[in-house]
Amino acid sequence: MGMFTSFDINASGLTAQRYRMDIISENVANANTTRTEDGTAYRRKIVTFAEKDSQTPFSKVLNTATDNYSGKGVKVSSVSEDTTTDVNKVYDPSHPDADEDGYVTYPNVNIITEMTNLIDASRAYEANATAFGTSKAIAMKGLEMAP
Amino acid sequence: MINSNAFDYIDVLDKAADASYLRHEAITNNIANATTPNYKRQDVSFESELERALTNTRYTSMDEKVSNATTDDLSARTYTDYDSVSYRLDGNNVDIETENVMMVKNQIKYNALLTSINEEFSNLKSVMK
Repeated sequence: MGMFTSFDINASGLTAQRYRMDIISENVANANTTRTEDGTAYRRKIVTFAEKDSQTPFSKVLNTATDNYSGKGVKVSSVSEDTTTDVNKVYDPSHPDADEDGYVTYPNVNIITEMTNLIDASRAYEANATAFGTSKAIAMKGLEMAP
Repeated sequence: MINSNAFDYIDVLDKAADASYLRHEAITNNIANATTPNYKRQDVSFESELERALTNTRYTSMDEKVSNATTDDLSARTYTDYDSVSYRLDGNNVDIETENVMMVKNQIKYNALLTSINEEFSNLKSVMK
C-alpha cells in the first residue's frame, strides 16, 4: 500500500474510459465510410477492458493467501472489430462503391448503440473523476496530522 | 513517556486510519473496473478484526483492552466479494452508486479518525504544558 496508489488507480480508470470514448467517436465519425484502406466498408470497433495486474504469479498467490490488497486499476486489453453485427446493405446503383448487384455496403455502426455507450463511458469517467477528488481530499487530510 | 501507555489509543487509531486508506484504494479500484467483464468487487474488512481484538480478551476496562490489543490483531484483511448480486450479463458485480456511497462514508470515517488522533495529541500537549 502506497500513499499514491489510489491516484494511479483513478488515473487508469480515467485513461481507459477516455480511450473508450475515443473509439466510440471513431465509430460515429465513420458511420458512413464505405471504403477503408483495404477497399471494404468500415467495421465498428469494440474496446475490451481487463483488470490491471502487474504482479508475478507467485506474489499474486501470496497476496491472496495473506489477504493483502493488490489492486492496480484497469487497462485496455484489446480493440477488436465487431464481426457479429451485420453490415447495412443499401440499394444505390449510382454509388461509386456499389457492387455488381447495385448494393452499397455501409458500416455496421448503429448510432443509437454508440450514443448509449458514449453516455455510459462518460458517466464512468465522471465516477473516476469524483473518486480522484476523494483520493486527493483524503491524502490532504492525512497531512493535517498534529497541528 | 516511552514505556507509558500514553500512545495506546493513538496506535489503534493509526491502524484504523491505515485500514480506511486501504479501503479507499479498494473502492477506487472497484470504480475503475466498473466496466470490466467478470470483475468481482474487492473490499477491506477492519471493523470485524477490531471488534474481535477488543472482545476476545480477558481484560475488562477499555484502557486495558486497547493497550493489550497487539498490532497483529488489528491488520486489515482484503477479500473478494463473490456473493453480491450481479445485475449485469458480463459477470461484473460493481454497482457504481453503492461504491460512491461507500467511498464518501469511508472518507468521513477517515476524517473522524484523523480528528480523533489530533485530539489525542492536543490532550497530551496540554498535559505537558
